[in-house]
Amino acid sequence: MAKIIEVENLTYAYGDGSAFVHDAISDLSFSIEKGEILGIIGHTGSGKSTLVQQLNGLLKPTSGRVLFDGKDIWENPKEIRKVRFQIGLVFQYPEYQLFEETVFADIAFGPKNMGLSGDELTERVKEICSVIGIPESYFETSPFDLSGGEKRRVAIAGVMAMRPQVLILDEPIAGLDPKGRRDVVNMVAEYRKAYDATVLIISHNMEDMAMLADKLLVLNDGKLLMYDETRNVFSKPEVLREAGLNVPIVTRVFEELKAKGYDVPTDIFTVDEAVTYLSNRKAGGSRA
Amino acid sequence: MLKDITFGQYIERHSPIHKMDPRAKLMLLILMIVFLFLSHGFAGLSLFVILLFAGIALSKIPLKMFLRNLKAIWIILVFTAVINLFYGSGGVLLVSFWKIHIYSEGVKRAVFMALRIMLLIMLSSLLTYTTTPNDLTDGIESLLSPLRFVGLKNAVHTLAMMMTIALRFIPTLVEETEKIMNAQKARGADLEDGKLLDRIRALIPILIPLLISSIRRAYELAEAMECRCYNGGEGRVRMKRLHYGKVDLFAAITCVFVCVGIILANYYINF
Amino acid sequence: MDNIIEIQNIGFEYDDGERKKTVLENLSLNIERGSFTVILGHNGSGKSTLAKLMNGLNKPNSGKVLVDGMDTADTETEIEIKRRVGMVFQNPDNQLVASIVEEDVAFGPENLGLSPEESRARVDEALKAVGMYEFRQKSPHHLSGGQKQRIAIAGVIAMKPECIVLDEPTAMLDPKGRAEILKTILKLNREHHITIVLITHFMEEAEQADRVLVLHKGAILADAAPKTVFNQVDMLKQVGLDVPQTTELLFQLRSGGADISTDVLSVEDTAETIARCFFLEEN
Repeated sequence: MAKIIEVENLTYAYGDGSAFVHDAISDLSFSIEKGEILGIIGHTGSGKSTLVQQLNGLLKPTSGRVLFDGKDIWENPKEIRKVRFQIGLVFQYPEYQLFEETVFADIAFGPKNMGLSGDELTERVKEICSVIGIPESYFETSPFDLSGGEKRRVAIAGVMAMRPQVLILDEPIAGLDPKGRRDVVNMVAEYRKAYDATVLIISHNMEDMAMLADKLLVLNDGKLLMYDETRNVFSKPEVLREAGLNVPIVTRVFEELKAKGYDVPTDIFTVDEAVTYLSNRKAGGSRA
Repeated sequence: MLKDITFGQYIERHSPIHKMDPRAKLMLLILMIVFLFLSHGFAGLSLFVILLFAGIALSKIPLKMFLRNLKAIWIILVFTAVINLFYGSGGVLLVSFWKIHIYSEGVKRAVFMALRIMLLIMLSSLLTYTTTPNDLTDGIESLLSPLRFVGLKNAVHTLAMMMTIALRFIPTLVEETEKIMNAQKARGADLEDGKLLDRIRALIPILIPLLISSIRRAYELAEAMECRCYNGGEGRVRMKRLHYGKVDLFAAITCVFVCVGIILANYYINF
Repeated sequence: MDNIIEIQNIGFEYDDGERKKTVLENLSLNIERGSFTVILGHNGSGKSTLAKLMNGLNKPNSGKVLVDGMDTADTETEIEIKRRVGMVFQNPDNQLVASIVEEDVAFGPENLGLSPEESRARVDEALKAVGMYEFRQKSPHHLSGGQKQRIAIAGVIAMKPECIVLDEPTAMLDPKGRAEILKTILKLNREHHITIVLITHFMEEAEQADRVLVLHKGAILADAAPKTVFNQVDMLKQVGLDVPQTTELLFQLRSGGADISTDVLSVEDTAETIARCFFLEEN
């Protein structure tokens, strides 16, 4: 598979002395394959937000490079805006950035900034909404009249409408109820399927990560702690715990069973895996 | 940076000036400004120069911090000096060409005026560098409190509450503005280029979310304050009491000496 | 029984100018002094409205709310009711008033007209109770979400309340912040004997409570001990609640035909339950 993003010796230092609330990044190098879903985890202040803001050129690295499709995104600083259309970033609580009078106009804001207008613009908005399931009957309503979960979806659609090849989402399901969470997860999956996109998700929720991510990138105090397939990362609970993180709850249940002396595997990361394992074992009947 | 408005221009040091009561600092500053403008000549100003340098030395804050504040107003300084240069017509004629005549009196006047503004700025800096905005707010509230006897009780309290809330929320709103700006930039908003009109239009996607969130915050804060038994300041007793100390007395006496010095200088020394 | 809060047949309508919306209807509920009650409900279940009714921030359209026998509709006891029943809200940023931690905590005592010495003593005590005493001179915007929320709690305890109602205090926090707040709440209930009403949509936070209420569409669907409520996973999922992975696992095992109860939440208890059901018979 082709590499879509390459990060080389990326370092970012906040120079204004107010580093108290910010998180710096030091000497990160890694690459992301086209089409995969990458989870980014780390405790608050570990550098996750600083990292993703450098991937789409909102922050300029102090040193090091970010390559998109093999080209340095800062090669021509005047063109940095174009990078943001290719690498879409959805911030935490994106519903707070809604501002237009209608849902349609708000979703159209990004494509309009790309230079689309008239029928082309209308088509673009309609297309993205049909892909991710926002009904056209919403178009003329005010985004401020929607429920919390619906606002979130419209805000995410506003970034998707630029049709970025890489979609980065910072805590996209934080604060939503189970239905709202399912809706957001589904729309991201639909988008990915339709446009063959690469997806990066920041989350504190290990259970969601176990379900969604192919690979995990673990940050600790601005440094790369682990970067591997999700299963392999969750197989190293002691490393995660040292970084103030944990394995999914269901994995902890199996660790506990093992501690009690039962012969069970500890590489079970989702509820489905656990149910399958326990059912098979019961059917098999014997203790290995 | 605006984010750190809690500390404003405040520079933390352990010094007698920092220890002074904010009310004393405010009152003495006002007194000094009045006498600065009452002073007729250089003899008087020289007293202020001595007072200022003594204050700066005591505050343990480097002189260059004070000079930095002057840099910001150099245009005003030059403008004041130039205007006054042509004003006086006494003394010796120094320069004369076309319709412009500069007398020695004019030069003296120009230097005097510029020096006076410099002293004003630097004396004020001495207050803001050594007092946190919080202490200043408390000081102003306390100094204005006599107004309650003339029926302005609520006005004083409301003003103080407004200043307190402003100090508390400005950093939050600055952070929020940055967040919204970044979010809109991520959607391709162009905030840097374009004509003036385009730039003003580009602010709408930032101002509207900011306004909506500020209203929400204000509403939630009002509820939270109500839950904490806030009743418009009725019967409120502040925990922190301001105390005058020995330093304040020394400072007051020093300033009184300066005032007397100015009066004497105005009468007896005509320079 | 000694109740701190008695809610009697209340109805509450929300009027946004155009249409009236009934949020709560004919709801009755007592909160026992010293207890720890959790109210679960998803967004829009009426739980925030109910919280604000408990200290008179909202006044019922019908029925009565009594706090220590005082009617919240009575304007004369308004302040006293708010002192006895403190409230903590979701967004920690929007409930702190002052830009110095200790001055913020002093806000309540100052409003009550306490002497500066008394206020000072209460502020120190409250900050120590939430473990934030070392931060007393700091500015809130230099603190983490969990720390800010603890300051908000300190601001309430400085008023020496009988009861604290917390309306989704952990919704905006990271896992570390959530754990901090839960620990603080438990301490206040167990050691300081303050009545706690915790409103949340996280089932995990309900585990340590004496009593769990499930609110849905303005009505109480369940009212029992945590174990009893957690055994009704179908109902919990139906009302749109967050079911923790341990519960989900036990629930799916039960749906798959295993004879297993779903009334435990902690990792240890779940492991124990699974061991009993799946492994003991193997021996």
